[in-house]
Parts: sequence; structure tokens; C-alpha cells
Amino acid sequence: MKKLVMSAAAVALLTLTPQSGWAQAATATPGKDVSMVLLPKFLGISVFDQAHKGAEEAAKELKNPTALQFLGPTPQNSVAGQIEIVTNAATQNVKAIMISNNSGDQIVPAAKAAQAKGVKVVTWDSPIPSADGEDVFVAQVDFSEIGKVMADMTLGILGPDGGKFAILSASPDASNQNAWIAAMKTALKDSKYAKLELIDTVYGNDESEKSYTQAQALLDKHPDMKLIMAPTSVGIVAAAKALQDEKLCDKIKVSGLGLPSEMLAYTKNGCAPQFALWSFVDLGYLAYYTAYMLSTGAIKAEEGAKFKAGRMGEYSITKDPTRAKGLRVLMGPFTIYNKDNVEAAAK
Amino acid sequence: MTNAAATLKRWETLMFALLVVIIALNSLDSRYFLSIGNFINLFQLSIEKSIVVLTMTLVIIGGEIDLSVASVMGLAACVAAWTFQHGAPMPLAVLFALVAGVLAGLNNAFWIAYIGLPSLAVTLAGLIGYRGVARILLEDRAIGGFPDWFNRLGQQAMIGPLTASIVIFFALFVFFAIVLHGSALGRLIYAVGSNVQAARYSGVRVGIVKTDLFVGSAFVAAVAGVLYAARLGSVRGDMADGFELDVITAVLLGGVSIFGGKGNLVGVGLAILVILNLRNGMGLANITGNTQNYVIGGILILSVLAPNVWQDIRNKWKGRGT
Repeated sequence: MKKLVMSAAAVALLTLTPQSGWAQAATATPGKDVSMVLLPKFLGISVFDQAHKGAEEAAKELKNPTALQFLGPTPQNSVAGQIEIVTNAATQNVKAIMISNNSGDQIVPAAKAAQAKGVKVVTWDSPIPSADGEDVFVAQVDFSEIGKVMADMTLGILGPDGGKFAILSASPDASNQNAWIAAMKTALKDSKYAKLELIDTVYGNDESEKSYTQAQALLDKHPDMKLIMAPTSVGIVAAAKALQDEKLCDKIKVSGLGLPSEMLAYTKNGCAPQFALWSFVDLGYLAYYTAYMLSTGAIKAEEGAKFKAGRMGEYSITKDPTRAKGLRVLMGPFTIYNKDNVEAAAK
Repeated sequence: MTNAAATLKRWETLMFALLVVIIALNSLDSRYFLSIGNFINLFQLSIEKSIVVLTMTLVIIGGEIDLSVASVMGLAACVAAWTFQHGAPMPLAVLFALVAGVLAGLNNAFWIAYIGLPSLAVTLAGLIGYRGVARILLEDRAIGGFPDWFNRLGQQAMIGPLTASIVIFFALFVFFAIVLHGSALGRLIYAVGSNVQAARYSGVRVGIVKTDLFVGSAFVAAVAGVLYAARLGSVRGDMADGFELDVITAVLLGGVSIFGGKGNLVGVGLAILVILNLRNGMGLANITGNTQNYVIGGILILSVLAPNVWQDIRNKWKGRGT
């Protein structure tokens, strides 16, 4: 009798646990017919084409019978064009639209009208600032994560003995770069990075020429410097070029945030052995999964919802700490590029 | 004269035929095309440009051009947003915006009508300058949070399914049709546009006609800018950037001669419908971006070419007859 009760309890426990103990991550049901639109800031930009590639990959995996529409305005007509595409998508009764918003809050009336017609509005890369008219934002990376990755790359390149390094940033009032540098300084306080010493921070204003001269100035000023960290895709290329021109790549290295296609040569020749960027392919893939699962009702756009996004694993919807209101799915982490993977990514 | 009337008729017939073809193709292509909601959207998405097309028609018939309209739209929107953010009640902010428009128009008119500079140069300076002021006012910020009644003005149906902007467009269409085709001012605009010297010798006060044109153009652009702000519910410094080319395209497609003196609002009205239906149809067929521009550019060239080719053929036949 006792045994029976025990085993009954065990059975009850087993059956209950998945629901009560942990929130189970929802999974997508493939093969549902969901018409979807992927809307970049504008057409003709390689990172958006990469996001399109990722979204198509997800579409194939989920066996969505309706083809994904990749629609975008021209750069000259970005705001009006995005509004027009959102409005027409609502007219066509599409189920979900994924926006890299370039229209600030001006997209809100069109997005709200689309939502009122039952369209799920997912933003990626760039959210709607007020979060009005948006179900959820698929964010690429977290600011604090960027600081940690920069510290890790510095340590990885310089090795356990560490050394002195300087930062070559964009403009002195670029809010995202400043936040990333602050995040790196916070990360550096960890004893793990005790051997790394930040000696200088200079600004190249995201202009190639100015960044190049600033990098040269750093080389003259700090002969014992081992690395230049440039958290900007313009600065990192300029610094790598300065090192290459001065034939210093054996002694001094460059790292930071850069585009694989622009960094390919410098990574191959050892000037910039490691740099980082988030993958736009993954961002498109995750945005597609999120929008598909919202549209099919597998998840709801509310705090705490968990879901499994194919090859990328589990994600959850949380409050977006970077905006007053709004929900986000945080993608992360970075892709670290080195000589082994940079070539494939540069294509 | 009967010949000229016949030519005009042919142009409008051409536009009308084009419109019918486009509407037929759109209806066949997309089952969403023929719905009231879509027709409202079709107007709504370009309604501010369409409003400015009306005054641009008068300006171009008058032998001039106003390249500053889009910048005046942006300026008006930014002035309204800026004054609202600095504490002005919304009606007052709108008034400031319209006053800014009139001032911009007076400035254009002064250099063109009284100093005698070409309007191309003066309004090009305006295009740059008024946009500059708009950007200085707002920097990189976006201003929103306008009162609900203001946003409704641009977003919600007022009369039947029609929004305020659409009602204003049709009212202005009737008004400017009367001005151009039924008033003394309209006759003077044609006179100045066809031959400014002849008009001057026959006692037309050309300066006043031109002042009317540029102040009217800028005022209507300011109205359109305010309506645009209401439709989007948020204002940035780059609002309406580049709209002037779309506006001028519609006027030329409407059969108005870029050299002035020729054209009418019926043709322009049809051209607006052609462009809107074409854009909407391509949008619903998921054709966007550069392809849309390419098609509209192509139609503009064809429609300018077609009557000339027709004229050539006719002349050749006539030549044979004699």
C-alpha cells in the first residue's frame, strides 16, 4: 500500500514537474502557413542581406509553405517607404512583419494599424523607441556583453602576461561606443584581467583619415603599447592599416568590432587576429522564429515566455531594460572572428 | 485654339487610358486591391505630396518652379513640433507652422519677383536653407506626444471613410481648379507662363502674380507638412526629405509643360491617380524600392515622348497631303 502511494506520488510528481517546476520552452510547429515580410532599413546593405539569408534558413527549416517576402525601401525614401510597406502588408493580411526600424516613432501609426488587423510586429536590429505598435524586439547583443567580449579578446590576443593597450573609438559623444567602453572598463575590474592596462583613449570620429592619424599618434606616443582596441568598424580598419603600413603587426595587434569582409586581409596577415561582431544571419534567423511562433500562437508576446529557436537554442522574452517600456528577446553572444572563420563570414 | 484643345484632350485621354489599364491590372493581380480600405490607404500614403502637387501645377504653369516645397513641409512640421514642445498649445503651434510657411514663401517671392533671380536658384537655396532651419530646431531628436485630436487629424476617418487630409485635398483641388480655370488670376498665370514679356507689356503686374504663386505654394506646403506630422504622430528633421521630385514628376506627367503656360489640373489629377494606383499595385505585388522608381520614371519618359511622336507622325502625313 505504502509503495503504491509512493509510486502514485512519484507519477504525479513526474507528470506535474514539467508544468509547475520549470517553464517549458515552447517549440515551433513546422509546416504552418504564415505569410511573413522581412523589412530592412533599406535594400542594398550587406548586413541586411545576411539577415535575409538567416530568415530564409529558418523559413526552410520550419517548412512554411508561403515564401518569405524581403521588401525594403530605397535609402532616399526610407521612412515613407517603410510606412508604405507596413501599410500594404496589413492590407494583404500578412501574419507577421519583421522590421529593422529606421523611422523612429513615425512608424507607430502604421504599425498599430497593422496590429489592429492581427499582424504580429517584430522588430530586429533597431526597435521602435516608444515600443508602441511593436510586439517584441529581437535585440542583437547587450551592452555589458560587449564590454566583456572586448576584455576577453584583449586577454586572448595578449596572453596571460597581458600588457598595455589603448582604445581608438568613434566620436567622443557617440553614445553606443561610450557605453561599450564604460562596459569594458567595468569588465576589466575582474581579477581575471588584472594584467591588462588601459593607457589611453582617442577618437577618430569614425572617419577613416582621422582614425588612421590617431592610430599613428598612439604608436608614436606609447612605444610599449601592445594592442589597439577599436569598438567601431571604421576605427578598427584604420588602425589595422596604420599597423600594416608601419610594419608593426608582429609586435602590436588590433582588435574590436568590425565587418569580416573589411577585416579579412588584416586577420589573415595577423594584424588583427581576433575581432567581433554579432551575426546578422543569426539575427534574421531568430527574428523569423520569434515572428513565426508569435503568429502561430506557440508563444505570446509577454514577459517570461520561453521558446526554442531551432539551431540557436532557447530564448526568453523579457522586459527591455534599454527602453521605458517594451519587450525584447536578447540574441547575443557575439561571433568572434579569427583566421579560421573570417573567410567564410566575409563572403 | 481648337487644335490646342484637342491636344489637351488627347493628353488626358492618354492618362485616363493608362489609369484604366493600371486599375484593371491591379484588380487582376491582387484580390486586396479593390477595397475601400485599400483606396483610402492609397490616397493616405501620399496625400501630403498630392496636396503640394496642386500648387506646384500653378507654379509651373506660371513659368516658374518651386524646389523648396519639401523643405517647407519639413520646416512647418518642425516648427509645430518645436513650439509645442516649448509649451505652445497645439493650435498655436500649428499657426506658427503656417506662418513659417508664409514667411518662407515671401522670402522666395522677394528674390524671384522683385530682385529678378531665377526661381530654380532661389528655391534651390530654399530647399537647403529651410531644411537647415528644420534640422537646427530638432537636431537629431524626434518630437511626438501630440494631443490625440491632432493625431486623429492625420490618421482617422472624418467624413465617411475619408480622413481630414483627403477631404482637404479634394477641397483644394476644386479651389485651385476654379482659381486656375475660372478666375482672373488664373488667366494671368497662363499669360505670365506663356510669355512673360508680352504679359508685362500688356500691363500685367507680373511681380504680384509671382508673389501669389510662391506664397501660395509655400503656404500649402506648410499645411501639408502639418498634416504629415499628424499622420505620423512624430516629427524629425528629415521629414518629407526629397518629396519635391515626386511632386514635380506628378505635375509633368499631368501634361504640364516645364516651360510654362500649358497644362491643366484635370490632367494633373489623372496623373496623381496614375502614380498612386501604380505605386499601390506594385506594393501589393511586393515590388518595392528601386523597381517602383524605375517604372514611374519610365512612364514619365514614355508619356512625354508619346505626344511628340504622335505629333511628328501627324506632321509627316500632313506633309504628304500638300
